[in-house]
Amino acid sequence: MNVVSRGIRNAFRNTIRTFSIVVILGLSVGLALSMLGARQAVQQKITTIKSTIGNTISISPAGARGFQGGGEPLTTAEIAKVSSIANVTKVTEALQDRLTTSDTNLVSAIDAGTLGNRQAGNSGVGFQAPPDGVPGGAAASQDGTATVKRTFTPPLIVSGVNDVSAASAYGGDSVTFTSGAAFNASSSENVAVVGKALAAKNSLSVGSTFTAYGATVKVVGIYDTGNTFANAGMLMPLATLQTLSAQAGQISSATATVNSIDNIDAATTAIKTALGTAADVTNDQTTAKTAVEPLESVKTISLYSLIGALVAGSVIILLTMMMIVRERRREIGVMKAIGSSNLKTMLQFISEAVTLTFLGMLVGLVIGIAAANPVTKVLVNNSSSSTTQTAGPGVRTRGIRGFGSNSVTNIKNIKTSVGAGTLLDGVGIAFLIAILGSAIPALLISKVRPADVMRAE
Amino acid sequence: MLQVKDLHKSFKTGDGNVNAIDGVSFSVPDGQFASIIGKSGSGKSTLLSLLGALDKPTSGSIVVGEKDIVKLHDHTLIKYRCEKIGFVFQNYNLVPNLSAIENVVLPMEFAGVSKTKRLVRAKELLNQVGLEGGKQNRKPGRLSGGEQQRVAIARALANHPSLILADEPTGNLDNQTGKLIFDLLHNLSRTEKTTIVVVTHDLDIAGKTDVTFRLSDGKLVKNGAK
Ligand SMILES: Nc1ncnc2c1ncn2[C@@H]1O[C@H](COP(=O)(O)OP(=O)(O)OP(=O)(O)O)[C@@H](O)[C@H]1O
Ligand SMILES: [Mg+2]
Repeated sequence: MNVVSRGIRNAFRNTIRTFSIVVILGLSVGLALSMLGARQAVQQKITTIKSTIGNTISISPAGARGFQGGGEPLTTAEIAKVSSIANVTKVTEALQDRLTTSDTNLVSAIDAGTLGNRQAGNSGVGFQAPPDGVPGGAAASQDGTATVKRTFTPPLIVSGVNDVSAASAYGGDSVTFTSGAAFNASSSENVAVVGKALAAKNSLSVGSTFTAYGATVKVVGIYDTGNTFANAGMLMPLATLQTLSAQAGQISSATATVNSIDNIDAATTAIKTALGTAADVTNDQTTAKTAVEPLESVKTISLYSLIGALVAGSVIILLTMMMIVRERRREIGVMKAIGSSNLKTMLQFISEAVTLTFLGMLVGLVIGIAAANPVTKVLVNNSSSSTTQTAGPGVRTRGIRGFGSNSVTNIKNIKTSVGAGTLLDGVGIAFLIAILGSAIPALLISKVRPADVMRAE
Repeated sequence: MLQVKDLHKSFKTGDGNVNAIDGVSFSVPDGQFASIIGKSGSGKSTLLSLLGALDKPTSGSIVVGEKDIVKLHDHTLIKYRCEKIGFVFQNYNLVPNLSAIENVVLPMEFAGVSKTKRLVRAKELLNQVGLEGGKQNRKPGRLSGGEQQRVAIARALANHPSLILADEPTGNLDNQTGKLIFDLLHNLSRTEKTTIVVVTHDLDIAGKTDVTFRLSDGKLVKNGAK
C-alpha cells in the first residue's frame, strides 16, 4: 500500500457515488471527445473543400466564352506562364470546336427542337453546312442575311483536352466508361472518346473509326456522364484537335487550380497580370466560401461545446472532491497527526480524483466513439441546410460546371472517426479535468488542522 | 526528558481571546507514565496537542530530548510527529477504509520503513496488543471499541516513539475494557521505555500513574508526583 494505491482504493469506497460520478463524467468526456472529433473532421473537410471546390480560376480569351463573343484565341504559350504562378497546382487547357456535317460523317445525337432552331436563327448562318439535299447552302453561307429555310442540325461539339482525369473535362459531374478507356491526354494520335448518346446514334463502338476534318479518327472509349448534352459530345487529345482543326497552338479555355481558396484572390490577380488584356480571368471562390461558412460555424460551436464539456467535467470532479475532502476531514487530520505531509495527503486525493476521472474517461471513450459521427452529422446538417444551393442547368459554354448543390452533398459527407490521436487527446482531457478538479480540494486539505482530531465531531 | 516551560496558548473567538493554556510548566523524565486530570474545558486536550506538535503554542517552550519543538520548522515538525510521537485518541481515529494491519503500517510508511519490515512489525505489534489472527485484516468498522483502541495503540507504537500522547484512551470504553487498555499502555511504557502522557477522567487510573498533573482553567494547580 502506498499513497497512490490508497487513493485508487478510496475511489471505490462509496460504490453508488463512484458509479454516478463515473457516468456523469463519462458523459462530459464523451461530449468533449465527440466535439473534438467533430472539430477535426470539420477542419479536415474545410481544408479539402478549400483545395478542391471553388479553387479553380477560369481563363478565357478576352471577349469570348466558348462559341459566343469574339476576339483573339489564347495560345498554349501564353497559358504556360500561368503554371509557374505561386499556389497554382494544375493548369488544364481545352480547345472546343464544332463539327458540322461537312467536317464529319457523324450525325449529331441531339435533335434541334425549339431551342436549337432558335439558336440557329439567332446566331446567324455561316458555320453550318446545309443538310443533305437542301440546295443553296453555299450561297447562303456567303450571304449572312439570306433567309433560306433549312432543317437545322445542331453541330457536334468536340473538345480537345490536355487532362482527362476530371469529370469536368467531359462536361459532367461524374464520368464512367461504358467501354474502353480514356486516351493519353498528351498524345497527338487521331483518337477520340465519344459520349454514349453519340456512339449509339452512329453505332460506334471501341475500335470503330469515323472521319473528322478529313482524317480518320479511331474510337478508344465510350463514356457516360449522366447528362444528355455531354453524352452527345466527344473528346480528343488537345494536340490532335489543334492539328486537325488547323488551330495550332490555340486554346479556347483554360482552368487553373489553386491549392486552397485562401490563395485564389492572389493567384487570380497574378494570372490577370501575366495575361494582361488577352484573357478574361474569373473565379468561383464566393460559392466555395458560402460552402465553407456553415462548416466554420460548426467548428466554432464544437469549440465552445468542447470547452463547455471540459469545464463541466472539471466542475463535477471539483465538487466531488470537495465533498469527499469535507467528509474525510477527520481522516485527513489523523493522517497528518501520525506523520503524513500535506503533499502526501494531497497526492492520495489526487490519485483518487485521477482514478475517478480515468473511469469516467473509459466510459466517455465508449460514448465518444459511438457519438462522434452522429453528432458531427447533426451539427453539419443543421447548419448547412439553410444554405443549400441549386445549380441552374445552364448552357455549358466552358465545359466546366458551376458549383452548386453538389457542394452541400460533399459537406454532409463528413466522416468522424475517433482514432488513436483522439484517444490520446481523451486521456489528456481526463487528466486535465482531474488536475483542475483537484486543485481546490488540495488547498482544503492543506487547511485541515490536525489538532482538530482531538475533538469529537 | 519532556520539559514544558511557561506554555501559553490562546484562541481567538467571537468574544475575545480564550487562554486555553495559561502559563504551564512541568517536566516528565524519560520512561515515566504521567497523567493529566481536570474538568472539562480546563485545557487538557489543548495541552496534549501542543506536546504532540499538532498545534503551535502562543508562547513558551516544549523540549523533547534536547530539541525545543516550538522552534522547529513545519516540515521538521511532520518528521517529529511521525518518528517521535504516538497518538491515541478517545474515539480511536483509525482510517475506516484500511484494515487493522494497514492502519498500523501507515505511520511506518510515512516514516519510510521498507515494505516487508513494516508488515512484520505491524503483525508483531498487533499480536502484542492482543489482536490476533483474522481480526488483523478486518476494517475498524468490524472491530469492537476495545479492539479498535488496541489497534490505535499498536499504531502509536509503530515508529518506536519517545513520547506517547493519549487523550482519554478509555473514555469510550466500559470500565473493564478501559482497565485492560490502561494496563496495556502501562506495560508497554515499561517494556518499550516510552514516556506516556495520558489524559483521563478516571481518578482510579490516574492514581496508578507515576505522576499526575491537575489542570484548571489552563493552569497547573497541583503537582501530584509521588
Ligand atoms: N480551536 C479552538 N478555538 C477556540 N477555542 C478553543 C479551541 N480549542 C479549544 N478551545 C477552548 O479551549 C478550552 C480548552 O479546551 P480543551 O479541549 O483543551 O478542554 P479539555 O480539557 O480537553 O476538555 P474535555 O475534558 O471536555 O475534553 C475550552 O474553553 C475550549 O473552548
Ligand atoms: Mg479533551
